[in-house]
Amino acid sequence: MSVAATRRSRMEKWYRRLLALYPKDHRLEHAEEMVGVLLAADGAAQVRAPKPVAWALRFGQHTADSADLVGGALRIRGRIALNRLRRTHWLSWTVRDQRWSDALAVVSVVAPLLLLVAALTEFRIPQAVASSITGHPHWELTATLGLADLPMAAGAPGVIILVFLRLRRLAGLGALATAIGQVAAGAVPAFAGYADPAVAFTVLLSGTAAVALLLSPGPDRGLALLTRSGTALVGAAALILGGFSVGGDVWFGAQPTRSDDFGGKVAGLPADLLIAAVLVGVAAACLRAPVSRRVLVLLAIPVIPYAFLWQEKLAVDLFGPPGGGSAIISSSIPLLYLPPLLLASLVLFGTWFARRRAGERDRQVASATA
Amino acid sequence: MQEPTFLILTALAAGAQHGYGIMSDVARISDGRVRLRAGTLYAALDRLKADGLVTGDKEEIVDGRLRRYYRITDEGTAELAAEVGRLRANAAVAASRLGLAGGTA
Repeated sequence: MSVAATRRSRMEKWYRRLLALYPKDHRLEHAEEMVGVLLAADGAAQVRAPKPVAWALRFGQHTADSADLVGGALRIRGRIALNRLRRTHWLSWTVRDQRWSDALAVVSVVAPLLLLVAALTEFRIPQAVASSITGHPHWELTATLGLADLPMAAGAPGVIILVFLRLRRLAGLGALATAIGQVAAGAVPAFAGYADPAVAFTVLLSGTAAVALLLSPGPDRGLALLTRSGTALVGAAALILGGFSVGGDVWFGAQPTRSDDFGGKVAGLPADLLIAAVLVGVAAACLRAPVSRRVLVLLAIPVIPYAFLWQEKLAVDLFGPPGGGSAIISSSIPLLYLPPLLLASLVLFGTWFARRRAGERDRQVASATA
Repeated sequence: MQEPTFLILTALAAGAQHGYGIMSDVARISDGRVRLRAGTLYAALDRLKADGLVTGDKEEIVDGRLRRYYRITDEGTAELAAEVGRLRANAAVAASRLGLAGGTA
């Protein structure tokens, strides 16, 4: 056997070994022709050049072809896995009522978006960007990532990525895991988290996102209802408000010397509170859709705990700081979580009752016609 | 549509070709700028077949090796024509704004 033939045989063996990375069906169908193409390409690349140069060129081509084969195998396997996930029929139960189904679809776009902004704001990332633009010295990045922050830090971007990949059910499960993770992290005594209205907001928002993603046709339908410009408006508003939201110890403009200064009354809103204002923007965008009222009811569920932040703020503004005659109702787990659960139960009961009445009406019409 | 996909469909628009033929044609069409390798080509062909834009054609044995031909489908032709229209419109706007001859907007 000549040197060239030995080399070709060695290359063929190597390429066949790499082709083992491809899925079996693809290999059976294309392996022979791929080997033929690879060897033909190698033959065409032969150049007249001094031996070391020719060897270097051949080695470069061979290495690039090998890397490309591995890349091709990964692309095909990735596509197959993605298609399999998309075709899976698990968790295929969705709400039958068209109006509630559409409302949940809109929420399946808005809630993950708000969740991401809430996570970014928790780490003051939009605030840091705003600070770099405005030069405000108090808006600094606090990148302290503790165990209690992990569910939001990993969950919120993860849910958005899964939504973007159109993996609705996985995104729903991700949102559910984010909610459970936050509750679990809050249950650790050292963190004592979930009696905080801001944490209640993100826990309930994750839960709402999970329900919307699992029980609706998903973000595709939601985007169609919300319209592209509406979604862009919501996203931009969320990020801008996230950027200009501030913690309780930070103020717009100069830091006030007395707590009852104008700056203290107007600013100093807890960071997440301004995200709630985004919901007003969402409401405005949703008004164009026929399901707007239902969307607002669903989004009200995670916003209810903010009532406590508002009353705290109002009480301080009207009656002075705590201890000075202020009438602050301190937040507790039942006060934070029971009203949203009550609203969710009302929604469930209302839809069940409406369906039952519609069924009775249909039966009456049917018996009258008979 | 990504450039390799566009070039593969363009290569097949002239008639059915085998894998190595497509690779050579793509290099020729792109003036040597795009050089498809086997892994990329067959991953793209796999996707295009799944999308119904390309289909298998005849097979032959040359020098003891299998050679399979691929051809563009009607759907693939329509998709390519739509992409050409999009690119042409964009190019016309760009040319106009650059003050080049042939611009329309």
